[in-house]
Amino acid sequence: MTEATSRRDFLRYGVLLGAGATLGGGLLAGCSRDAPPAAASAAALANEKPRQGGRLRLGIVDGSQSGNLDVHKPVGSGIIRGFALYSKLWEWNERMTPELALAEEVSINANASAWTIRLRKGLEFHHGKTITADDLIFSARRLSDPQLASPYASLVQRIDRDNIVKLDEYTVRIPIKDGLGFLPLPDGWVNFGGIVPSDYHPVTNPVGAGPYKLKEFTPGQRSLFTRFNNYFKPGKPYADELEIIEFKDQTSRVAALLAGQIDTAYAITPEQIVPLRANGGAAVQISHTHGWQGFEMNLDAEPFRDVRVRQAFRLLANRQELVARALGGQGRVANDLYSPLDPTFNHGIAQRAYDLDQAKSLLRSAGKTDLRLELAAGPGGSAAAQVFANQAKLAGVDIRVKQVDAATYNGPLRDSWTMSTTARLGGEFLHTATNTDSALAATNKTHFNDARFNALFEQALGETDVEKRKVLVHEAQQIQHDRGGLLIWGFADTVDGIASRVGGAKPERSHFSTWRFDELWLRS
Amino acid sequence: MALTWTLTSAFGTRFLALHGLAPWLRWLGGRLLAGAGAVAAISIIVFGATQALPSDPARMVLGPEAPESSVLTLQRQLGLDRPVAEQYLRWAARLVQGDLGSSLDSHVPVLQLVQARAGNSASLLAGVLAVVVPLALGAGCWLALHRDSWFDRKAVSALIALKAIPNFALGIGLVMLFSTTVFRLLPAVSLLEPGRSPWSQPAFLILPLATLALAGLPYLIRLVRSAMIEALDSEYVLAARLRGVTERRVVWTHALPNALIPAIQGLALTLSVLLGGTLIVEVVFTYPGLGSALNAAIEMRDIPVIQAIVLLVAAGVVLINLGADLLTVLLTPKLRTALGAQP
Repeated sequence: MTEATSRRDFLRYGVLLGAGATLGGGLLAGCSRDAPPAAASAAALANEKPRQGGRLRLGIVDGSQSGNLDVHKPVGSGIIRGFALYSKLWEWNERMTPELALAEEVSINANASAWTIRLRKGLEFHHGKTITADDLIFSARRLSDPQLASPYASLVQRIDRDNIVKLDEYTVRIPIKDGLGFLPLPDGWVNFGGIVPSDYHPVTNPVGAGPYKLKEFTPGQRSLFTRFNNYFKPGKPYADELEIIEFKDQTSRVAALLAGQIDTAYAITPEQIVPLRANGGAAVQISHTHGWQGFEMNLDAEPFRDVRVRQAFRLLANRQELVARALGGQGRVANDLYSPLDPTFNHGIAQRAYDLDQAKSLLRSAGKTDLRLELAAGPGGSAAAQVFANQAKLAGVDIRVKQVDAATYNGPLRDSWTMSTTARLGGEFLHTATNTDSALAATNKTHFNDARFNALFEQALGETDVEKRKVLVHEAQQIQHDRGGLLIWGFADTVDGIASRVGGAKPERSHFSTWRFDELWLRS
Repeated sequence: MALTWTLTSAFGTRFLALHGLAPWLRWLGGRLLAGAGAVAAISIIVFGATQALPSDPARMVLGPEAPESSVLTLQRQLGLDRPVAEQYLRWAARLVQGDLGSSLDSHVPVLQLVQARAGNSASLLAGVLAVVVPLALGAGCWLALHRDSWFDRKAVSALIALKAIPNFALGIGLVMLFSTTVFRLLPAVSLLEPGRSPWSQPAFLILPLATLALAGLPYLIRLVRSAMIEALDSEYVLAARLRGVTERRVVWTHALPNALIPAIQGLALTLSVLLGGTLIVEVVFTYPGLGSALNAAIEMRDIPVIQAIVLLVAAGVVLINLGADLLTVLLTPKLRTALGAQP
């Protein structure tokens, strides 16, 4: 199934399911969103006029990390708060492709070695200051400052921060270091590249140009925001206040949603779907994201130096079973490749089928018939690791699952696990490769370092013509599929709980439908 | 009563004051000094323990995708590349000046973070105390006075069964009963408004309080019951009864004060555990107390927050135990007179 048809199917299913729910009510299968209990027709819902006012309350579960308010290095729930506080030059559309936001026009030169960015005019920050080129330069320089110690430094490391040029009051040219190409700049920038004024301070003056202004930040508990009246999208946002509430437990969050204490619950676990549907009062919304789940095989460690072992592992993975058991059925199988929504994605590569005999044969030919190894399961990865370990037994591979906490998983051993679980957000090919297994990647846990792949990647970074880039990416992906170190077995859905009084929420191909704070509104 | 007696006798005359109060002050001062020493020792041990944990704050704060260069920069900025002893001394020096530092995770001042959480925990604890003490004393004494009756046997069995239910199951059961599935009378989670006392939002306190009270009561009721039974069986009670003292007076004046001693120690133990250990209830009800803050800080290796909470909890435990020991001494004639008789 191609992505183009899957998108159409996805929308069609959405309409059908909405209509089905209107007629019959009851449980909805597959995807899209349950009808609100006070069921109006799908068309009527779509035409509903957003209502102003009220306090929109989002419930999140984000482990132990409270995160901060820093615009350029948000971590944990700080990323969600950033969606409320800060506006960026680009923002993600529902397919997780960057679209212009604060920027009015962006152009790049032929080899993507310099970006010219023009801001919209008449924009304001929360404290009333007009947004100009100086703020853009300040933000770009802060964002790419090595002293910021940003977790995203590798995604902006090619910005030539000392040679940014102000062309006029609203226009800036950002060169890429050494004249190299860097096409994925918007993708890297869209998440954490908020534009802030030169008097910005992440603790004492966290102002931006996002739909909401900060009123109160209580780490690990909640953050409260008020409507920004001069937001760059006229008439938006709709609610007067926004509250982001942090929960430590999935069950209590669903209880809060059912009791009317929160309006939306971002990314609930599949097992919470049943109680949520059984109790009524809130709908389940399923977004088919292309955030991927997989295992990283370390090419610098035995037994994965041998490509036959890597291919055997990819063949012995029963992906259907992994999706069914590790994701509770909320996902789709993947083909060891990321970025299926990228226009350059190679759809010609056939889905790798489960083939135990072939896997055994490859292991035999590699002389690894009695294989034992350890699989490090990071946070959220233990279910998949256990399922895979059982599958591997059928091929005579003895995998010992070592469950490790976040600190150990990300600790000094991070880059030396023989095999580890992984889960990443969806994104475009060049951006994802910049993050995972290319020569630019800061955390290439697979240690995949293929000369031809690197050359194709480097060339693609500077190729602005999509058709020409497609050729390069197709070959790069074929290499990943043939000899890469990633075993990507599935794409996970994002399941959100939405109270019936919330309007404007709709399933997307992204994972953050509930973070669109400028789109959501309250019926009562 | 005993305290009044002590103070009266101490302040009775200057002579008595000099010779009666001084040993008490010496004892209290000694205990306070020992407590302060224990708190300081704990802070060193905990600081050492954070160093023994895998990973470090810089890696935790920056997350799984951070490049090594950023990790090293942050380690340097936070002083994590300095020797452990130097890091501790720097922290202690700031503490002496009243500066607890800022959270490495959220960048918010630790004082602000911990103050609010401590207030919430203290409110919960005070509520538990207010509910549990009269109930445990009342029910414990009543059961002791009716021991081996049909009701006593059933009540003791019920208390043991209640004790066997894990706290989180108790909490979730109460939520289902009062908030979601059966009735919708109370909020399912305690989303306290920051900056306001929990007592001004009492609806949020009821279920966490009920859970902790139900979890603590079985132990304390049985403790009071058995202590009371032991007191009622004692020779001095038999002697009092033989002297014709009324049953009411036997219970209230002779048996109860002696039965209180194990109950006070039991209560101190329960409170000490609750001070830093209401984690389960904090998770089930999303109640913003010290337990979940400490748990998160440990997982994030947020050393300034860990140290501040540990100091607070350790000081609290020391004070609770000191209070319990003081009450025990005052209620035990032998200990009281021994201390008072010291030169």
